[in-house]
Amino acid sequence: MLMIRAIIRPDKSSKVLKALFEAGYVAVTKIPVVGRGKQRGIKIGDVTYDELPKEMLIMVIKDEDKEFAVTTIMEAARTEPKGAYGDGKIFITPVEEAYTISRGTKEL
Amino acid sequence: MAIIRIDKMNATKTALSAAGLPSMTATGKVFGRGKGLWEAKVLEGVKADLPEALVHLGKEPRLRPQRVVTLVVTDDKLNKAVETIIEANQTPEPGDGKIFVIPLYESVRVRTGETGDNSLD
Repeated sequence: MLMIRAIIRPDKSSKVLKALFEAGYVAVTKIPVVGRGKQRGIKIGDVTYDELPKEMLIMVIKDEDKEFAVTTIMEAARTEPKGAYGDGKIFITPVEEAYTISRGTKEL
Repeated sequence: MAIIRIDKMNATKTALSAAGLPSMTATGKVFGRGKGLWEAKVLEGVKADLPEALVHLGKEPRLRPQRVVTLVVTDDKLNKAVETIIEANQTPEPGDGKIFVIPLYESVRVRTGETGDNSLD
């Protein structure tokens, strides 16, 4: 199993969630976060904004679904038409075990 | 890392403290949805064939407020932590949340610079 953590623009999150739902990935957790990227935030005049609001989507998927899930998120989160700085990042980490609390079972 | 119901936070904290795993990090409200679970009300309506309920099926499910609890534990305490969280959070209905076990490469105690398991005691 793999955990996908996607940091995306807040205004893209509903589009991404819709795309994921249509692709069959229903289970998602969304966390509002702030952060900056390689461009060190946005500089407007003398003021640098380096705590830009973003949203982090967390989901755990099977290993073989990785490519498809990543493509789905990436295509939905990209600013039209060809992407822009600040569209976000996707990180993937391994997950050893997953438990469903309501059933107490060890499964995704 | 466990994603749980917001109203189960206190029960989880108490249970973890009692189990000897008091240290943790939790987020404020996060929003999530499970595997195609609509609200219980909608499902009841569908059973009764109410048209208002049927329109909700097939649409995107609403995101529910949840909290994320993150614990870093040594390997030998893993089972205890998982059991404690499951026990404290179980209710008869679906939607109690998930627990994910993720490997961690390193841990450092900032105050002293200790690393590895020593930094977790």
